[in-house]
Amino acid sequence: MIKRVNSTGRKRIPRERIMIEVFDGDPRTFEATIDLSDFEAPKNAHVVLEATCAGSNTIPRFDWGTVGDLQPAANRQLTGLSGRNVFFSLKIIDRTERAGRILGLAEVIRPIKGGEKTATGRRGILPVESTDLGHEPWRLDFRSEDVYLLVNEKIPDLKDRVRADALVYSLIYPPVIRQILARAMDEPVDEDDGNDDWATLWLKFGCTLHSEKSKAPINGTEEDREEWISDVVDAFCRDHDLAGKLLRHAQSNVREEAV
Amino acid sequence: MRLRRFNEAGIKAFREELALLRANPERDPDPQLLEHRELTEVVTPEVQIVAEYFKTKAEVARYLTAILGKLPTSSVEQDAGLWTWLSLLFFDSVCNRTQGKWSVKNDYYYIFAPRNNRHFYRHLLFISWHMLRLAPKSNRLFLSSPLATLPKVISEVAMRLYITRIPAVFEVLDRLYWDESRNRHRVGITETRVHAGDLTHRFPLRIRQLEKTYDLMSLDADQLIQLLGDEFAFGRPRTAKLFEDAI
Repeated sequence: MIKRVNSTGRKRIPRERIMIEVFDGDPRTFEATIDLSDFEAPKNAHVVLEATCAGSNTIPRFDWGTVGDLQPAANRQLTGLSGRNVFFSLKIIDRTERAGRILGLAEVIRPIKGGEKTATGRRGILPVESTDLGHEPWRLDFRSEDVYLLVNEKIPDLKDRVRADALVYSLIYPPVIRQILARAMDEPVDEDDGNDDWATLWLKFGCTLHSEKSKAPINGTEEDREEWISDVVDAFCRDHDLAGKLLRHAQSNVREEAV
Repeated sequence: MRLRRFNEAGIKAFREELALLRANPERDPDPQLLEHRELTEVVTPEVQIVAEYFKTKAEVARYLTAILGKLPTSSVEQDAGLWTWLSLLFFDSVCNRTQGKWSVKNDYYYIFAPRNNRHFYRHLLFISWHMLRLAPKSNRLFLSSPLATLPKVISEVAMRLYITRIPAVFEVLDRLYWDESRNRHRVGITETRVHAGDLTHRFPLRIRQLEKTYDLMSLDADQLIQLLGDEFAFGRPRTAKLFEDAI
């Protein structure tokens, strides 16, 4: 089981330095404004943007020149990405001193502007995406950059109902949180204090919910981990009164049937 | 015959055909579905295709790469109707038949679901074509097996985009996991239990660690194997030790 990763001096690039606008089309395209004026890196270090979204089987990559000479990629098509939640990563790469070492990184950059096909604005802790899930109503998609709740596109409005329908979210969220926290504890997490990758965010979220505000027992036994997760899930259900909401929903159905 | 694709009703009809074959494995799939006017359409630009028999994934991958070369890759890799139609055309190759009975597996081996990230890589024809495209060289781990099967060594790699997107990874995998003496992949690399240097557990985990620090896209195979660490040292080129090997 791995826990911590030494990133050999990689620096975090504030997301605010990268402004991205996505344009509708088939495929969608994008424009990016990148400010690396005070980023300490060799001028010849390479700059690369990568795009991804839940459910996609590709990660388009765009060469953006060097730190000293930023040059937008000629082809900025988001081919193969069909979901609404498109995220970008910016990497500054040293290809001289050591083979392909990452000097700077900004992850999970969400477009500030987009057309109708693209979600914009602040990143939520659990992006929801409609996609082809065969016969499965919902599923979690754990990717390097984030975790997504995928919902079956064949079920009308399920994407909205997981947020608004008490019956749906009461049943979905407890196992969702349980699965994510279990997975987050096994993710390679960077030692960087400012780290905000999905696993770190979820474990912090769990810590705030935990009855004793305990940190996740990443190096604990299997029993320790399960106990911590159960405590967090129970707190989440209590705070949102999930059992009560489900009960009231069931009772209202019984009354309707009686009428 | 002209290359065609199923429309939605055609895919549904083929799914029903698979169910019928499971219920009655001695019958043959209905060949009329292939050119049914209401269930299929001709792919444009038009391409001629022949219903051949392919024993291995490598054979069909080379054939399909040539046949589909005229079509835009980005649309081919999302074309559920095309790949599903091809499954029916090459049904003899993608479905085993023993003692006159078809052994029909899950639908996703024959019906392509490009947006379902747990099923897309299980389509037997698509994955053959796809792996050859990703790995024009160093692909024997993935393409030497019989077409009608999906060995775990393929699914363990194909399901992980963070692995398949690394250009040098296929040469690395070949060097790590191909057993030259037995002409097949090394034994034990996809076991449920964790082994040092295995493909199922340790390799993906190590890649996830390394991608935090290195731009794996720009590494060559030697560099990547070096970074993987001593656990994977068996994939490094062997150099003769002075005197010992020379004697």
